[in-house]
Amino acid sequence: MSTLLMLIPGLPLAAAIVTAVFGPRVLRSQSHWPTVLALIGSFACSAALLYQISRQQPVEPGVETKGFEYVCRIWTWANIAGAYDQPPQPGETPQSVVAGGRRDFRIDVTLRADALTGIMLAMVTFVSSLVAIFAVGYMHGDRGYWRFFSYISLFVFSMTMLVSVSNFVLLYVFWEAVGVCSYLLIGFWYHKPEAAAAGKKAFLVNRVGDFGFALALFLIWTNYYTLNFHDESSVKPAFGSAAVASGAAESGNTPPPGVLSPSRIEANDYYGGALGLAICLLLLLGACGKSAQFPLHVWLPDAMEGPTPVSALIHAATMVTAGVYMVTRCTPLFLASPDAQLVVAVIGGFTALLAGLIALTQYDLKRVLAYSTISQLGYMFLGLGTCTLAGITAGMFHLFTHAFFKALLFLGAGSVMHAMGHVIDMRRFSGLRKIMPVTHFTFLAGCLALAGVFPLSGFWSKDAIVAAVHEKAYPAAHESMAGAHAPANEESDDAASHARPTPETVLPLTDDQRATIYGCLFYAALFTAFLTAVYTFRAFFMTFYGPERVPHEAGHHAHESPQVMCVPLAVLAAGAIFVGLYFEFTGSFAGFLQPLLPFAPHAHEINLPIAVTSTLIAVSGIGLAGHLYLGDAREVQWLTSLLRFDWMARLADAGWVARLKQLGPVAAVNRAARAVGLGLLATLVGYVLLLVVLILAAPLLICHYFSPYRLSYHKFFFDEIYGALVVWPLRALAAVSFWFDRWIVDGLVNFCGRVPPAVGTLMRSLQMGLVQFYALAMVLGVLILIAARMFGLGG
Amino acid sequence: MLNEVAVLQNYLVIGAVLFAVGLIGFIVRRNMIVMFLCAEMMLQGVSVTLVAFGRYHNNWGGQMLVLFIITVAACEAGIALALILMLFKKSGKLDIAFWQDMREAGQPPFVDRAIPEERAEERVWPRLTPAGIEPQVDEVEKEERLHRSRV
Repeated sequence: MSTLLMLIPGLPLAAAIVTAVFGPRVLRSQSHWPTVLALIGSFACSAALLYQISRQQPVEPGVETKGFEYVCRIWTWANIAGAYDQPPQPGETPQSVVAGGRRDFRIDVTLRADALTGIMLAMVTFVSSLVAIFAVGYMHGDRGYWRFFSYISLFVFSMTMLVSVSNFVLLYVFWEAVGVCSYLLIGFWYHKPEAAAAGKKAFLVNRVGDFGFALALFLIWTNYYTLNFHDESSVKPAFGSAAVASGAAESGNTPPPGVLSPSRIEANDYYGGALGLAICLLLLLGACGKSAQFPLHVWLPDAMEGPTPVSALIHAATMVTAGVYMVTRCTPLFLASPDAQLVVAVIGGFTALLAGLIALTQYDLKRVLAYSTISQLGYMFLGLGTCTLAGITAGMFHLFTHAFFKALLFLGAGSVMHAMGHVIDMRRFSGLRKIMPVTHFTFLAGCLALAGVFPLSGFWSKDAIVAAVHEKAYPAAHESMAGAHAPANEESDDAASHARPTPETVLPLTDDQRATIYGCLFYAALFTAFLTAVYTFRAFFMTFYGPERVPHEAGHHAHESPQVMCVPLAVLAAGAIFVGLYFEFTGSFAGFLQPLLPFAPHAHEINLPIAVTSTLIAVSGIGLAGHLYLGDAREVQWLTSLLRFDWMARLADAGWVARLKQLGPVAAVNRAARAVGLGLLATLVGYVLLLVVLILAAPLLICHYFSPYRLSYHKFFFDEIYGALVVWPLRALAAVSFWFDRWIVDGLVNFCGRVPPAVGTLMRSLQMGLVQFYALAMVLGVLILIAARMFGLGG
Repeated sequence: MLNEVAVLQNYLVIGAVLFAVGLIGFIVRRNMIVMFLCAEMMLQGVSVTLVAFGRYHNNWGGQMLVLFIITVAACEAGIALALILMLFKKSGKLDIAFWQDMREAGQPPFVDRAIPEERAEERVWPRLTPAGIEPQVDEVEKEERLHRSRV
């Protein structure tokens, strides 16, 4: 098993190195072979690993099974013996922090295999192999062909390491590595200024989140005295000899149990209260950066400047799920802090709604998909924020299904772009269903799955999240239902609640208020489901239906993409259709993850009313989109102008003043004034009227400027707000620093450098090159010396 | 005793005169060989003084030192003459003022007699009647040469 674990990241790394070394000279247009083969091999290993894990951990829904985890150490990266000395603080110390003793700061490169890692590995390698195959067609003939595949391999290496390491420091390392790869890939066409800027933006916005993550790591270390996920005792050496593994025995003291180890979960040994909240919120900040959640979501839409396979791979299927993975992994930490759960849920729900609203009005096909990614990630966070077994498994399930259909949609968009000569504005093409039948049908499958229509994968996962939120919002109704259905479950719930004392909270909110917030989130989630259906099918209909139009960039050869691009589309479409169905009816997904999480097992059942409601909502959304975009274009225009508050602009028209001046009484006054020769008075009246009209119209104009349509079209002005609040102050600071450095610091240094030459210039005129002069100077000098001696100077 | 002092005075006067003549010669002459001779003369003046004092104090140290001075002066003479020879080969002149070019950059030169400016009308070049075939100029190569000269 350790061989498999090392092969999965090892193959892509080897491919990256081979492609980087041999790509530019030897392989050239065959550069894709190492990457494609390595990724397929990596996927095969992942599948084998998943199979082994599932054999070790029998899946029987509703039955308590022991979570399986396998941890192997490859080597010890750092070991500072006795680096840290922490006397126990009475009262605050958890039981496990044993008194006294200096502790080692020890970082092992350890890989772990458990259900969560297995699922993530399989998902990442599967999607990335398909994307790599697609990219063979898409990137064909690009100047940086080998560079692209080298980066892709490197990225897959980082991502597989990220999900399989068993230590927070290494998680952070590969978290950064993934960020670097994403920077390289977004800015792949670095000669385009937008792409370079987008790469920079993604990198910088991620830095903000990573800063929070790093702080969270510091807090975890100073409070839990370890950064490992696992217990030291459960580690097995990767290469045979057991002597290497006994690192703990050498130093003589027992290491503290790992942060997320089963023993600590068993003892429920976690900090709650303000400290727990701080750790969780900082972790969440990191997750928000990587997973593009509300305050830090601005980088993801811009990241669409990269090549489309990159968008599919990084910004839909794999990299952005790192945040979701991390929060899932840290579930025990979040369980100790209900406030943090609430914040996760609120951020998730809010982001889902916000991104859904923005996606409604975008014209760039990839941008619509990008905002829908943000929205779906918000759903996942909402599911994780409930912190119930159903919610977390639903969040992970949504991550899993979302990877399939979102990768499918992005690759479909890439196929469209490929055929349209890299035009992606939906206003410039339409009616492509005849030209690109394969893309059309696979895209349709992806859209249906994203919108959550009944048997497709998106339906099951999204419905599970909505149901989990509903359960959190209306616990009473669910308990009575569960009691009526299965009285046995109640006992186990009771047992769980006895074992787990109620965690302390920081925010002054009662349980009822929390439930109300979750209730609001429930309705927000339902509304977002409606929005999802509308914007997805708006994009679909605008692209594939209507009159057949092709932009001139496409030339005369607008055609279906080659086989190498269509096959991955078809495979992903099959995945998008059947994956949800399979896992839902075998019920294996939740059962698979459950033993890892500190929850009592829980028989999974479909909440029928909610399922029906959400399906109805999705269908009505599709219906609305169809009505608007398949029917009369005037309706869309009317709706747009209504939402743009055009009537307000008409009200605020400045031509009013002119009309007002001709109005009965005012006109009479003006005429009278003119008649008696007081033209000045008439002009004054005109100015006063203008002022009044302007004051009246100002709110209207502002309202018009911030009309719903414009807010959505301009992404709620987030870029502008961040630009004004963060970017420009920082730029001003940078300019001041530059000036200071240039003129004050450099000036001082240059001044010091100029003093010796200035002194030298004084002496320079003596060096005139005449030997006689030198001799004379010497004689005079000697004479002076002798004279001084003679007159008794100098002793 | 008095006689001894008188003899010492004579020697000292001879040594001082030799030194002074050598010094003045070194400062005022520009011919490198003469300058070298003058330097030697200064050396001899010093030697005479040393010998005189050695005899006066009945101390052989002065004489010893002079023997060394003569040895060193012989070596120095060899090196100095070799240098002068090299400088002469370089410039064809024995004038030390020629080497004032080695002065500090930016200093005005010391000119004892200025060469008159050449007037424009004196610059007349002989004119030859053209003969032979006019060479074919390769435009491309010309361009390239121009470019190379700029680079």
